[in-house]
Amino acid sequence: MTTQTFVLPDVGEGLTEAEIVSWRVGPGDRVAVNDVIVEIETAKSLVELPSPFDGVVGELLVDEGTTVAVGAPIITIVAEDEATDATAPSAAPVTVGQTEHGAPAEPLAGEGSVLVGYGTGGHVQSRRRAVRQAHRERVAASVGVIAKPPIRKLARDLGVDLADVVPTGPAGDVTRDDVLKHAEQASVFRNIQTPDWGTVREETIPVERGAGAASATPVIAPAAPTPPADEDREETIEVKGVRKATSSAMVRSAYTAPHVSVWTDVDATRTMELVKRLKASPDFADVKVSPLLIMARAVIWAVRRTPMVNAAWVDTDHGAEIRVRRYVNLGIAAATPRGLLVPNIKDAQDLSMRDLARALEKLTLTAREGKTQPADQQGGTITITNIGVFGMDAGTPIINPGESGIVALGTIRQKPWVVDGEVRPRYVTTVSGSFDHRVIDGDGMSRFIADVASILEEPALLLD
Amino acid sequence: MTETDPVAGTRPVAELAEASTGPSTGSGAGDSTPPAPTGTQSMPFSRALNTGLRAALANSDRVLLMGEDIGRLGGVFRVTEGLQAEFGDRRVLDTPLAESGIVGTAIGLAMVGFRPVIEIQFDGFVFPAFDQITTQLAKLTNRHEGALSLPIVIRIPYGGHIGAVEHHQESPEAYFTHTPGLRVVSPSTPNDAYWMIQDAIDSNDPVIFLEPKARYWQKGEVDLDARALPLHASRIVRRGTDVTLVGHGAMVTTLLQAAAIAESEGTSCEVVDLRSLSPVDYGPILDSVRRTGRMVYAQEAPGFTSLGSEVAATVMEKAFYALEAPVLRVSGFDTPFPPAKLEGVYLPDADRVLEAVDRALAY
Amino acid sequence: MTSDHGFQPEEPVRVLAADGSFSPTPAAERYLPLVEALTDAELEGFYRDMVVIRAFDRQATNLQRQGQLALWPPSYGQEAAQVGSARATRPQDHVFPSYREHVVTRIRGVDPMDIIRLMRGLTHGGWDPFDPRNGNTHIYTLVLGAQTLHATGVGMGLVFDGRMGTGDPERDEAVIVYYGDGASSEGDVHEAMVFAASYQTPQVFFLQNNQWAISVPVTTQSRTPLHRRGAGYGMPSIAVDGNDVIASYAVTKVALDEARAGGGPRAIEALTYRMGAHTTSDDPTKYRASDEEQSWAKRDPIARLRAYLESRGASEAFFADVEAEASAVADDTRVRTNALDGIPATKMFDHVYSEPHPLIDEQRRWLAEYEASFEEGAT
Repeated sequence: MTTQTFVLPDVGEGLTEAEIVSWRVGPGDRVAVNDVIVEIETAKSLVELPSPFDGVVGELLVDEGTTVAVGAPIITIVAEDEATDATAPSAAPVTVGQTEHGAPAEPLAGEGSVLVGYGTGGHVQSRRRAVRQAHRERVAASVGVIAKPPIRKLARDLGVDLADVVPTGPAGDVTRDDVLKHAEQASVFRNIQTPDWGTVREETIPVERGAGAASATPVIAPAAPTPPADEDREETIEVKGVRKATSSAMVRSAYTAPHVSVWTDVDATRTMELVKRLKASPDFADVKVSPLLIMARAVIWAVRRTPMVNAAWVDTDHGAEIRVRRYVNLGIAAATPRGLLVPNIKDAQDLSMRDLARALEKLTLTAREGKTQPADQQGGTITITNIGVFGMDAGTPIINPGESGIVALGTIRQKPWVVDGEVRPRYVTTVSGSFDHRVIDGDGMSRFIADVASILEEPALLLD
Repeated sequence: MTETDPVAGTRPVAELAEASTGPSTGSGAGDSTPPAPTGTQSMPFSRALNTGLRAALANSDRVLLMGEDIGRLGGVFRVTEGLQAEFGDRRVLDTPLAESGIVGTAIGLAMVGFRPVIEIQFDGFVFPAFDQITTQLAKLTNRHEGALSLPIVIRIPYGGHIGAVEHHQESPEAYFTHTPGLRVVSPSTPNDAYWMIQDAIDSNDPVIFLEPKARYWQKGEVDLDARALPLHASRIVRRGTDVTLVGHGAMVTTLLQAAAIAESEGTSCEVVDLRSLSPVDYGPILDSVRRTGRMVYAQEAPGFTSLGSEVAATVMEKAFYALEAPVLRVSGFDTPFPPAKLEGVYLPDADRVLEAVDRALAY
Repeated sequence: MTSDHGFQPEEPVRVLAADGSFSPTPAAERYLPLVEALTDAELEGFYRDMVVIRAFDRQATNLQRQGQLALWPPSYGQEAAQVGSARATRPQDHVFPSYREHVVTRIRGVDPMDIIRLMRGLTHGGWDPFDPRNGNTHIYTLVLGAQTLHATGVGMGLVFDGRMGTGDPERDEAVIVYYGDGASSEGDVHEAMVFAASYQTPQVFFLQNNQWAISVPVTTQSRTPLHRRGAGYGMPSIAVDGNDVIASYAVTKVALDEARAGGGPRAIEALTYRMGAHTTSDDPTKYRASDEEQSWAKRDPIARLRAYLESRGASEAFFADVEAEASAVADDTRVRTNALDGIPATKMFDHVYSEPHPLIDEQRRWLAEYEASFEEGAT
């Protein structure tokens, strides 16, 4: 025996409810299809409803005088199967008016999807729970920051929080340069507030014993008996991670290779012009172009002319060797949130200008995101350090262990320079470097630095 | 001849009118009108309109209602129920079946001082009148260089969600908002229905008054004493911080549903009811977008060249720097309104709105 | 016999009185040869048509009340006008119904389930007018009167292509367009008559005056009998008792044959009564008196013909057979309606245009992706 349920239909284009006025049948009455079973009153009129089922009335589900929503079950009618088998299981309940379009089997009173004749209901069915997992990366609400959409995207790509950027645009907006400058700052320079030390005299940072073979003499001598640490006046930082690795590498390098530094100033105006033209070129539209790129090509070119700077001093059990490499894994010193890392671009000598630019960009972004892998930092043959971003002209950088030379690119700024007998403002920079005097002598170092500088002065020499 | 003539067998209008509705000539407001209700009452949207229309008819004997089946039947949605009985058939007219004729004659009536309030029976049937509405009603004031005002209201039930046959679920608002010379409004609540119909009748400009028919039977509180907002104001109906949802008519309820679901997922949505489609009150919308940075416009109408497109473009222009994401639109598909079995797929529901919210937040 | 508004309706063409007796009116004179040529079989066929469609119509109304249909516009009371006129058409004719001519479409070959599917919300049309099995019957038009212009246009095409006026009634084509008293107020109908007269289309304007346009009586639509309007456009116009199936048949047959022969368009006003509501959304108790309905019930088209057939010796077995067929059709309709499937969502993108359109393609794709995102396992 099947129980059939009749739910209240929408009898007049958008009705939402009706009052049961009078039942024309009662439980136990036999009804045939189309027999009138109830009179209802809607907002528009009185309507008689005919039965959709044959059978015997089971239950009147709504009392006379009660108002129910369209879709609410109002009566059950039990179908009498012919040849009823007393042991047959009852069939699943049948509800007239199920939607074919994926709604729940039992429309609830007042809810349910909109079936023809079933009116509007107040349904708030949502399928969102079903599976949808939306990607909802929410950028930190930079409410109140004025910035055009492309600048917002740039900031997001570079991991810059717009709220931290000082805007210099005419509308008080953050410009592209503002974002780029901000991104190039080392993390240590993000904190531009000078902390107040009060009457602090010194800060002691303990160094782990046994750090590196060359650390028999500790770099930092502890002061004479120090008073117990005063929390207001001293901060203690544990040495671990990148700081630890860096410090041991520095010690190893500085106390193994005799460092000599040479430098020269050069008029880099033509490099700046080339960079500007490349930036405007469609070929370089999707990649970052900077003086560092030209410097990188310059270094690779100069290495071919003075290969010893690209060599490595290796101590073996049968004596020391100098291995001269005919490939350049160009290291780029990068200040990252984790500290100083030196990932390198493998086989940089094979890369076109564009591919080199790409590689530089990728290396920088990866480092900034803190995703540089150990393999990226191994196997370097020569390193560039860009101290120009800090505003420095030159330095005496420490060679990356395993290499024999490190070149520093200083800041490029306008200075008076003599051109054709006249003093003119030109873009001037300093190229400096430190070299392992075991491997290379003064003339080699100098020639190398001069070569690099000559490219910066005349990039067309790269056409050689 | 054993037959009475079939035509004569039909009862003449006058006879029937007396039998069931009261005096056949207009008796005006007079002593047969009950006093206007006061206080706050809960009532369905259609009754709120009925109450507002009654107030308008009582306030001025220049106000006329014109339409098909609005008199004796009280309108197919019963919005004008009882009004012909109360005010007579020279104030509440059952017109011949010709929409162009109704609008055209209303224009003439306005020319001699009447304030006609027209009912077009369903959105899909306004088109025979489209010529009179666009070339005449919208332009005559301009053509007369101000010598003529046309204080005519055209009430049109519009929108879907009632499972009806063709031409009964259209959203033609863009045709009218695109026509200079017309004002277009759409209340979403009974309270707004009550006040906005009266304000529309008071306006000296032609007003297309779009009534979301899916809301006719929905009840709400109506404050019969105090008008809340002017006719052409938009309103923030739910406060939020992450995304601004804007819509009109029946869609406002859908937006509130979407906002409730979004809240349970941790997203706070602000909802704006446009109320006036032409002119648009951008103040609250821009204020909202400047706080949230993201906006979704939702409408039943097909999206291509729709009202939502206009609002989106203007918001992008005026709140450019505040935007974290482009303004998104959720609309009906650019197909004819489908057979009723597919209206649930066609019409934007909470899920479609939330899909756009997700996209806005992913920027 | 005059109404309150002072016009004098002429006596329409009538052959059967309300009680079923054979009593032709003077206007019926010219049709008598045609009438007398009707065989018992043909008359019994009219009866069967009317009884079956009334049962179908009642069942469809019940289906709406049971939540299976969005809407049903009943043809109850108008069976004679529709059966008579439809049986007068020739196979090659073109038929433009409004939205209540269920038996017209059935007689022309349309499956009544196609109308059910329309009213259920599965389609906006339901059948292909150009499929021969549908007998050149166009789909329902819900915008009042719009189809009259389309019919006139077809008529104009028949004229331009010489598909009428050859003198061979087996081949010459004609158009019949159905509309109501309410629709007759729409501007489109006026324009359709203007064009039809101007181009002398082989066309019959068949107006079923069922006295009511929802709640508005015909006297609001017109201060003159409606068939007089045709004369205003220069076309022969005639009033017929639309509850007399024989008269309806005869008048329409002559009109169609005269039109197809090149005589120009004609207008017929069939006087009948909408016994039911306008549609299932309507409530006639709000605007018309029940004694009016009762007076028209006494002029019921089916009872009238039954009385006449009985007087001609039709057997009880015949009437019982018709009842049985009517029940079977109604039951079959109910079963088939309850078994109807849904339609895929993508259907709304089909046939928006005749040619490909980028916006449609884009949105079809979008909807498919959107729906798929709710399937198990989608992200």
